[in-house]
Amino acid sequence: MDTVARNFTLTGRVQGVGFRPFVYRIAHEHDVHGWVRNTVGRVEIHAEGNVENLEAFRHALIAEAPPLSSPLIEFEDSSELENKRGFYILPSDTVGTAQIHVPADQYLCPECEAELQDSHDRRFRYPFINCTQCGPRYTIIKAMPYDRANTSMDKFSLCERCHAEYQSADSRRFHAEPNACPDCGPHLSYFDPQTMIEADSGRALDAAVEALQRGRILAVKGVGGFHLMCDAANEVSVIRLRKNKHRPHKPLAVMVPSLGEDQLDGIRQLVEIDSQTTMEQLSGPSRPIILLPKKAGAMTCNEIAPDLSELGVMLPPSPMHLLLANAFGKPLVATSGNISGEPVITEEQEAEQRLGGIAEGWLVHDRAIVRPADDTVMRVINGRPRMIRLGRGTAPVEGILPFHLEQPVIAVGGHMKNTVTLAWQNRFVVSPHIGELNAVRSMDIFRQVIDDLQNLYQVEATAIVCDLHPQYASSRWAHEQDLPCHQVQHHRAHASALVLDDSTDARAMQEIGLVFTWDGVGYGDDGRLWGGEALLGKPGQWQRVASFRNLRLIGGDRVAHEPWRSAAALHWELEELFPGNESEKLAYAAWQSGLNSFESSAVGRLFDAAAAIMGLVHTTSHEGEAPMRLEAIAQYVESADSLPFKEEDDLLRIDWAPLFYAMKDNTHPVAYRAGYFHSLLANTICSIAGHFSGKEHLDYVGLTGGVFQNRKLTELTTRLLDGAGIPYRLGEQIPVNDGGISYGQLIEYSAIHENIN
Amino acid sequence: MKTLTDTHISLAHGNGGRYMRELIDGVFARYLSSSSGKASIDTESDAVLLDDIKGPVYTTVDGFAVHPLEFPGGNIGSLAVHGTINDLSVAGAIPRYLTLSAILEEGLEIEILERVVQSLAKAAEQSNVRVVAGDTKVVPRGHGGGIYFSVSGIGEADPGLKLGMQHIQPGDQVIVSGTVGDHGAAVMLAREEFGLHGEVRSDSGSVLPLARSLSGLDGVRFMRDPTRGGLATVAHEIAGVTGKRLNLVEKAIPVNEAVRSICEILGYDPLYLACEGRCVAVVSAAVAETVVARWQALDEGVGACVIGEVESGNGDVLLQTPIGGQRRLEALEDDPLPRIC
Repeated sequence: MDTVARNFTLTGRVQGVGFRPFVYRIAHEHDVHGWVRNTVGRVEIHAEGNVENLEAFRHALIAEAPPLSSPLIEFEDSSELENKRGFYILPSDTVGTAQIHVPADQYLCPECEAELQDSHDRRFRYPFINCTQCGPRYTIIKAMPYDRANTSMDKFSLCERCHAEYQSADSRRFHAEPNACPDCGPHLSYFDPQTMIEADSGRALDAAVEALQRGRILAVKGVGGFHLMCDAANEVSVIRLRKNKHRPHKPLAVMVPSLGEDQLDGIRQLVEIDSQTTMEQLSGPSRPIILLPKKAGAMTCNEIAPDLSELGVMLPPSPMHLLLANAFGKPLVATSGNISGEPVITEEQEAEQRLGGIAEGWLVHDRAIVRPADDTVMRVINGRPRMIRLGRGTAPVEGILPFHLEQPVIAVGGHMKNTVTLAWQNRFVVSPHIGELNAVRSMDIFRQVIDDLQNLYQVEATAIVCDLHPQYASSRWAHEQDLPCHQVQHHRAHASALVLDDSTDARAMQEIGLVFTWDGVGYGDDGRLWGGEALLGKPGQWQRVASFRNLRLIGGDRVAHEPWRSAAALHWELEELFPGNESEKLAYAAWQSGLNSFESSAVGRLFDAAAAIMGLVHTTSHEGEAPMRLEAIAQYVESADSLPFKEEDDLLRIDWAPLFYAMKDNTHPVAYRAGYFHSLLANTICSIAGHFSGKEHLDYVGLTGGVFQNRKLTELTTRLLDGAGIPYRLGEQIPVNDGGISYGQLIEYSAIHENIN
Repeated sequence: MKTLTDTHISLAHGNGGRYMRELIDGVFARYLSSSSGKASIDTESDAVLLDDIKGPVYTTVDGFAVHPLEFPGGNIGSLAVHGTINDLSVAGAIPRYLTLSAILEEGLEIEILERVVQSLAKAAEQSNVRVVAGDTKVVPRGHGGGIYFSVSGIGEADPGLKLGMQHIQPGDQVIVSGTVGDHGAAVMLAREEFGLHGEVRSDSGSVLPLARSLSGLDGVRFMRDPTRGGLATVAHEIAGVTGKRLNLVEKAIPVNEAVRSICEILGYDPLYLACEGRCVAVVSAAVAETVVARWQALDEGVGACVIGEVESGNGDVLLQTPIGGQRRLEALEDDPLPRIC
């Protein structure tokens, strides 16, 4: 058979993932000659062989690609024969247009995990083992191109053996930039007031385990930041951690030893795992925290997630964590080492300053964390894990847009749970969770991530997209920049993020949806505060068609932490007496005169009010506490009751009054009333969907906004929609809470300002 | 002395005739003439000659439109004096003379006016300043808030105080003379007629003794009285003008318990509420203790304490939160909107 030659150019995630060694291997398997090389962001291949072999090679390029890679053949053509004998990996060609990919940090690959456990391997129990298929990426890369010199591994010189692996195209560690071993790589240190173990990973781990066994709280430096850890079964330690971290009620995540064939035996002792997808996510390379139903009699104390029915669990996210968790042998509390709402802490010095009053021992390492990536959090709804917080292992989220942008833009997100999104040409990148932008450190990281993303991807944004709310710190920052600034209304951003949750679904942009965007607060077109809206249309053309009756609330941002204010407002609006003492009287007088009050249509406030009316909470210590408690206690209630709505000012106004009376009805137990609350809202969505599907062409109903992190409400609603034969969309990749705002801003902006059809 | 027969202000009290004369003599001249007889308010001339002022002169003007006119801890009269002399005092001047322009609204009870002018006179006397010139106008009902005052002040430079924001250095300490937000909270409660919380009183008072106590002390850089916009606004002015960063410690900032509780209920931040008798000083670290000690020794400064530090920076004001975090203290908004609920 004749020898022919073909050239391939591959894009997608093909760098930092062992792609060239893979090409080298399959070339040999299929008797293909030629070469492969990296250009900036792409891989180029020249392949010579007979037609049959070339076809098999081409197929294998995609079908057998390494797990972390996602190659796309961008260009392919026949070529002149170079008559090469053998197959070569050529030096990188550094000239070319930017098609850069920055991989997220990944847990150990099976090969590295086997080496870690193999007492004959030179990396036996080495906490920083990695290869081209696994290990840290986003949190260690300082600049592009992705070379060791541009990572925080630059200060460790490769020993001879590691260098040989790094140079050898046959090795899994060929150009594994963070390659390391006990002889040349980073090490763990441990210290507490009595102990000081420097750069001795084995002894440091032993000391850490012993301290944990004695009930100590440790600050543990990980991949994307510090954790605070303690024995999850030791109530005294957990209570002390809560007290010193000023975190009285917010649920704590638990890191569970990796046990059994599928690693999940430890987790199964604590929670119910309800689907294959959940299992795959838990043990997959991104190692997220997933919220799952608690099992009775589990080996953790009640203080971990008080008054909630779910527990956040994760498997150890790195080899270091695996060694620690499995040596300890029991679940460990692993909560982010930060001040509530701020980005997770990454530097020892800052950790000592900020966590010094909490940590009683320190397990640290000498590999610098270049930028934070907090743990990813997911919750299972309708059988699938859905993103609550983008972080280590899942972010940066890279994707291809179904349209092409004229100019690069940066969308700067909301104020709470901030993320930012950079987009250029047909590509987008969503950052990990940054935090609540009230904090100085959050704003520092916000600015750093905006700069870093542009530097890493070698793209300079020439326009900014921000929220319509003039007082968001992100909006203020946007307006201070010397670039054109486009504002996107909060709930339109939510809706557009949902539409393109799967960015490959180009059709979605043209479908007509009725999207319920329910959350706590967003600045509306009319300068009022929205949060109970239904939007009809498609990105760029959303019409607000339904909203809740406004509720006048007093107390500014305090309303968010004090559900009694929402409860009081419902009473006062309906001219009911709200019981209370002097404080409530003063609040009522202020409410009547309109002092420091605002009107809101937010459904989040109805959850707050319901929880407070039923006595579950009065004030709260963390965002979402009232709705989480309400959801946890709610039983299933069979009812078809819906809230009434009527046309008013060109939209449907939903009245919450019946909901109030139902919550006040003491003849039913709280669990029933909480369940009825969920049922009322679900049925209301369904009635409104029915109302519009009778009048307009409707492709789907969408559910987004922070309220739809609520599993019971979402599952109840989708069941009703299924029954009515109405298709629906739920978020999966992009958080439905404000973590998805930056991505939604990009989509909405693009639909309006870019010619995307 | 003529006594007034009317009980309410009418437009006639402003037309230059007999009624006006009666009002001036019966209220303003009556209370503002010094018992010692020297340099009393001159109600006959159009201008007054001040011939005993030494050296360079400081002057200031301030308008007063507080509503309600009377509130726990003071009224618009005492406030007008304190506000004006405080502006002079924190600039490093010793207040000497005031002039007073009064805009009265038709229908105002003369009894109220008397009480107001009485406390105006008392406040002036306590601070050893004289009201040397005045003017009265009456506006029709509905065109004014009962009483508006415009007060000018004249003072002599205190050679022992060389103040200015340009002297502020990183490392300097920020000191406040007492609790913040009292005046703002008291007036708000009085205005809304909430009727409760009598324990909240305006801090309306003179800061002159505080300023005088630092005369001659090296390292005193700058003083300001945190009125409209409160402590947060003064902090922003300092940070904005100097381009340095102010790092305040939330726990260290004194707030009256009753004020704190009212702010909690109504959702206000006491750092943005007005004070009318407090002084903020920026001083070198070397004299911070001395300043606090001198202030604490005075009735006006018993609550004095260090609340933060100047750092090199970019014009931001930071607040160390009680849980160990650090947030940016935003500039005062015209209409603060919820962002987090």
